Amino acid sequence: MSLGDIVTAVLLLFGALFCMVGALGVVRLPDLPARLQAATKPQTLGLLLILLGTAVRLEFESAVTLVLVIGFQVITAPVISQIIGRSAYRTGTLRRDDLVIDELAERMSEDEDGGRAGEDRRTAP
Amino acid sequence: MSAADGAVPTTPAPAANRWPQVIWLTVVWVLLWGTISVKIVLGGLLVAVIVTLLFPMPSTGPRLPFRPLPLLSLIGFLTYDLAVSGVQVSWETLRYGPRARAGIIAVPMLAGSDRVITMTAGALSLAPGSYVLQIDRRRGVWYVYALGLRGTGDVARVRRMVLYLQRRVIVAFGTAEELTACDRGLVTS
Repeated sequence: MSLGDIVTAVLLLFGALFCMVGALGVVRLPDLPARLQAATKPQTLGLLLILLGTAVRLEFESAVTLVLVIGFQVITAPVISQIIGRSAYRTGTLRRDDLVIDELAERMSEDEDGGRAGEDRRTAP
Repeated sequence: MSAADGAVPTTPAPAANRWPQVIWLTVVWVLLWGTISVKIVLGGLLVAVIVTLLFPMPSTGPRLPFRPLPLLSLIGFLTYDLAVSGVQVSWETLRYGPRARAGIIAVPMLAGSDRVITMTAGALSLAPGSYVLQIDRRRGVWYVYALGLRGTGDVARVRRMVLYLQRRVIVAFGTAEELTACDRGLVTS
């Protein structure tokens, strides 16, 4: 076994491990935003590790294409989590009682007390 | 930023400002081919110019300041953060599971330009465990959702992390005025 084999094996195994923990998180974590973290983020890391592990074994020309995959994954992953998370907060699927701290709710209630419409928290039908 | 802002300028950027886009598209083209040769680079340039002419991006104002070394340091920090937070969220999932606790933390915004805000929001949402829930531009506040908060120490840690991440983004992409405003904000916050 060459050094490349060992590096690839370690990277692939860790990548797979992070993907598995992501799947576990979807089942185990309490509410939508937390599950979203588990579903999107450890898998970003897992995918990066798996791609890196693959790149070690490939010839240079093919490995370069993987860089593109990593790049676009890193650029697009935050956008989707942000949009879903925002809607989760506004539609009330986020369990507010369980939050350690919620400074956004404080600000929103201040806004409502001030007679301003503020941003509607419960716009869900 | 999305068109939903209503403030997106619709005039196309002047031709001279479009060359970064052309270069980026050419690089993507060459990477997709996987090999580099004169023919492929010229073909990529041709496609890039045609795409840029057919689909002009809206102008985003004056050229972005760009500092390569701070950008490298930002990328390094984000990679490190991705790994550390990945482990933290995994631990939170395995150890606490349904009893995992989260919080929403308000953090002062240190610079207000569209591009810096967009990049900071992206950088903040990249790492596991946290993302930007709401941006209040009028008051200059980020509302960051963070997973795995166990006490007030964790809240302070996340707040400090967000502040310093903002500074790293501004050092890499912000204007000189933004940088001074940022440092002033860091001292007071």
